[in-house]
Amino acid sequence: MQIKLNNRLYEAQEGETVLDVAKRNGIYIPTLCYHAKTGQAAKCRACIVAVDGMRGFQTSCNLKVREGMTISSESKEVTDAQRMVVDLMLSSGHHNCLACERSGTCELQDACYHLGIEKTTFSDHPTGIKDESSEFIVIDYDKCIQCGRCVTACNHTVVNEVLGFGFRGLQTTIMCDDQIPMGESSCVQCGECVQLCPTGALTDKKSRGKGRYAELDKVDTTCPYCGVGCQLTLHVDREKNAVVRVTGREVWPNNGMLCVKGRYGYEFHASPKRLQYPTIRRNGKHERVTWDEALDFIADRIKTTVDKHGPDVFSALGSGRITNENNYAIQKFTRAVIKTNNIDHCARTCHAPTVAGLAHAFGSGAATNSIDEILETDVIFVIGSNMTEAHPVVSYYVKQAAQKGSKLIVCDPRRVDIAHWSDLYVQLKVGTDVPFLNGLMNEILKNGWQDETFMNNNTENPEDMKAWVKDFTVEKASAICGVPVETMLLVAKMLGEAKKVSVIYCLGITEHVSGTDNVKTIANLQMILGHLGKRGGGVNPLRGQNNVQGACDMGALPNVFHNYQSVTNEKIIEKMEKDWGVSGLSRKEGYKLPTMLHKATTGETKILFCVGDNTVQTEPNTAKTIKEIEALDFLVVVDIFPNMTTEYADVILPDVCFNEDEGTYSNLDRRVQFLRKAVTAPGEARPTWWIMQELGKRFGVDLKFTSTNATWEDMRKTGTIMGGITYERIQNLGLQWPCPTVQHPGTPVLHLNGKFTRGKGLFSQTNYRPQAELPDAEYPFVLSTGRRLWHYHTGTQTRNSVGLENIFPEELLEISPADAKMMNVKTGDMVKATSRRGTITVKAWVTERSPEGVVWCAFHFREAHANVLTNDAYDNVTETPEYKACAIKIEKVSDGVKVMERGFRQARP
Amino acid sequence: MEKIQKCSCGSDEEGLLERLEEIIISFKDKPGALIPVLQATQSLFGFIPEEAILKISEMLNEPLSKVYGVITFYSFFSLKPRGQFLIRVCLGTACYVQGANEVLTALKQQLSIDIGETSADKLFTLDVGRCFGACGLAPIIMVNEEVHQWVKPSDVKKILNTYKKQKASTKEEINQEEIS
Ligand code: SF4
Ligand code: SF4
Ligand code: SF4
Ligand code: FES
Ligand code: FES
Repeated sequence: MQIKLNNRLYEAQEGETVLDVAKRNGIYIPTLCYHAKTGQAAKCRACIVAVDGMRGFQTSCNLKVREGMTISSESKEVTDAQRMVVDLMLSSGHHNCLACERSGTCELQDACYHLGIEKTTFSDHPTGIKDESSEFIVIDYDKCIQCGRCVTACNHTVVNEVLGFGFRGLQTTIMCDDQIPMGESSCVQCGECVQLCPTGALTDKKSRGKGRYAELDKVDTTCPYCGVGCQLTLHVDREKNAVVRVTGREVWPNNGMLCVKGRYGYEFHASPKRLQYPTIRRNGKHERVTWDEALDFIADRIKTTVDKHGPDVFSALGSGRITNENNYAIQKFTRAVIKTNNIDHCARTCHAPTVAGLAHAFGSGAATNSIDEILETDVIFVIGSNMTEAHPVVSYYVKQAAQKGSKLIVCDPRRVDIAHWSDLYVQLKVGTDVPFLNGLMNEILKNGWQDETFMNNNTENPEDMKAWVKDFTVEKASAICGVPVETMLLVAKMLGEAKKVSVIYCLGITEHVSGTDNVKTIANLQMILGHLGKRGGGVNPLRGQNNVQGACDMGALPNVFHNYQSVTNEKIIEKMEKDWGVSGLSRKEGYKLPTMLHKATTGETKILFCVGDNTVQTEPNTAKTIKEIEALDFLVVVDIFPNMTTEYADVILPDVCFNEDEGTYSNLDRRVQFLRKAVTAPGEARPTWWIMQELGKRFGVDLKFTSTNATWEDMRKTGTIMGGITYERIQNLGLQWPCPTVQHPGTPVLHLNGKFTRGKGLFSQTNYRPQAELPDAEYPFVLSTGRRLWHYHTGTQTRNSVGLENIFPEELLEISPADAKMMNVKTGDMVKATSRRGTITVKAWVTERSPEGVVWCAFHFREAHANVLTNDAYDNVTETPEYKACAIKIEKVSDGVKVMERGFRQARP
Repeated sequence: MEKIQKCSCGSDEEGLLERLEEIIISFKDKPGALIPVLQATQSLFGFIPEEAILKISEMLNEPLSKVYGVITFYSFFSLKPRGQFLIRVCLGTACYVQGANEVLTALKQQLSIDIGETSADKLFTLDVGRCFGACGLAPIIMVNEEVHQWVKPSDVKKILNTYKKQKASTKEEINQEEIS
């Protein structure tokens, strides 16, 4: 259709607003409350226009176009009216642009500029009220124009439900919770409200006075914290070599939303604690050396040791925190130069069961669907995921979907915060996922809720499956997993009757001795229901670290080259030998991480080349890990900070961090995304691919890593599923593998139409296997572990950024109110937690998140971290440790200071 | 924000929180439960204590800011304990000119409280309003629904005394219509 705007004809589509048409054609109409993400509030009235045949003025942001509509947005009458609206708005606050953070990007300023308003013609009303209580956000009430964007954002995009409007009339104001200071409220400091505020009413505290938007370079990149892979923009002061501010990019996967780590945890790159120079330990002390000295020394030690004992005494660790290129470089070095497959990384400690279990069932060991499809499903089945803390942005989508009417079922032994948004929260006992899920499947089959066609056409062994779960009645399951029979029936019905179910799971599933079985059981469930190979369905593991998917994709695994090409397949080996220009690649699978370490004590592992892992703090049973690390002949650590592992290193090499080199990460929905260089690395820090190249030379091998891109291109040449992904193609948006050719558009949904990568889906029989260490009279509590919102990994990044540590400065042991009462423990009291392997002293946090008998803590703080206690019992297929369950006892040490608690929906007391 | 206070007479007002829980449960799955639950809370405590806000938010699964937003939007709800008798002094122009401010000062002195506060014996809450629409009787004050006209500062003591005697038995019932 056509409409007439300011005397010119414009094309318009049904359903568009007048504002949409104006914007598309570069016609400025002031808008202050409207934002694409928060929608048409029709609140501020700055966008008014005159329409022929309609009385008064209309707000263009919610005015739908009609054929032949004649509109004026620039007549004197209209601009006078707009001017009056903005003038009044100015006068109801106090706007002094001189020292305002938003000057230059402020939308109110834009409106004034376009309307020619120099200052309000009325007197303004400064109150001087500011809320500076929050660690990262300042609210300047004098600059709030009550557009409501922040309120809508907080309640409907990130769904943290903190902000609201209070009072009425002239007193109306935005407020946090029940009008308490932001810093004391349940605000999780995601900063979404700051990003969407049109004025300087909400600003980033840390950026104050450090540079206005226009003065800073904008560098688009990928978040270095979790597997969501949020796209963000670093605002960089080049002269100071500093990141000053971070904003979210409004593209997939995060649509502008971030979490507190991504938005505010950005200074670590500039920390004076960074490793800057290569060092070698001599006489018990690390001494600075040149790169040549360090590399010669390493090459020499490797050569002499390997010559004498064979290549398998060498082991290397890649990392889920470093780029694809760097992981590829390490694995190629290990395989092509040393000729061993002893390469692994920390997926071993988290999602190895996913890779193994899903590869077994479907032929591909990754999430089947994409994050955005969460909004298209009917039932979201979340099991073993504390997503509001570990994958905040995924949780925003899940909460949005729940708000829009999708049913949300949350299953977890702990009442994790996402349960607040669920239709049904199911509390099962730690480690009983297999019987729980088998019970559900029994009920689904009993009622004929399965997708018979899918099972018959797309799976290999449907009849076996039916026979296996036949005896697994809900009653039997209920007796093991502690979920009441009625609840199980309800869950089965909800799943069975839904048109589309998306299963989302995380480490609560994998970090058990039955990890791989747990994953296979989830695969079984979705194959029975037939929710695979279509949008909005799928089996969706939330990969933990920023690039743990990529480290797997790059072959930092003992059994596959990059792109999951088997190291025991002669054809593939020959291909690699030819392309890499080497011969004699190892024909046998390498050691998995725990085996590598374990073999140190028997002398079978002598050298460990460890990149970005911090093994000592991350492996279970720290005392044992230290013994193993100490037993090594030679330990090289490449990292960005000193940590518990560098303390044992013979050579330490300084690495660059995420914004000091370019490269790629693969996120949790297989999206390969680009990283850009924004700042220069400190001292002599060098990327890992460079280190590997230089080491390769010393063995007479040219690994062809002459640049980041060259490394990626080298991977691509022999790659398969990622062969079509070039740097050029992902400059703006990532691509999801499989993407085999440069023409291929990428694959949002795996196994489309039930055509599994392996052909037909494969059901596997699974049975209950209890946790390795059950509580007993001496160690009566089950300890489960995980991650906190405010911190990441072993804290090296988050604890070296400003502010996160002020919010959450030390580890807390979460204890249920009932248990706490029994032991006379209050929040803030010091307690001693002891397992058969060690003791830590921590503060208690009495919280209803913990069920009776279960306590919880994380591994971020080296002063008191969970892994001193955790059990080195492993999943038998993948050797993934059982971090989620061990037995401990708790003793109270001393009373603490009384802590004011406001209860629920908070990631901190 | 005010919290529940333990009464010196020994009766534990926290017991009321349990009553509140029962009320919330009875409304829980009905749509639009928030306002009736708040009304019940107001009549139960005479105001809406902080503990109640937290409880309502949690049990009805409504954001705290929404609960608080509704409370502060309707003047029926009060965040501070209200006395049995709400005294509202008209400060409209007519009353002001006729000496309403002096009456207000007298009330403050007699009750030893400021505007918005409640007397120690929990009998009186002092509030002010704009023109009550009876300027011919200025200055006027209202005690609950009763109008006192042509009030002089010297009348204040007498007026208060009549209410002190009037041991009003039950707490006023809430009027559904008033807010919905
Ligand atoms: S703080 Fe900003 S976004 Fe929120 S209402 Fe005020 S002006 Fe709008
Ligand atoms: S920072 Fe996030 S949680 Fe906090 S008020 Fe803003 S949008 Fe809400
Ligand atoms: S959700 Fe994950 S990827 Fe996104 S900002 Fe937070 S840590 Fe970064
Ligand atoms: S932008 Fe249209 S009313 Fe605010
Ligand atoms: S001014 Fe008091 S009743 Fe009108």
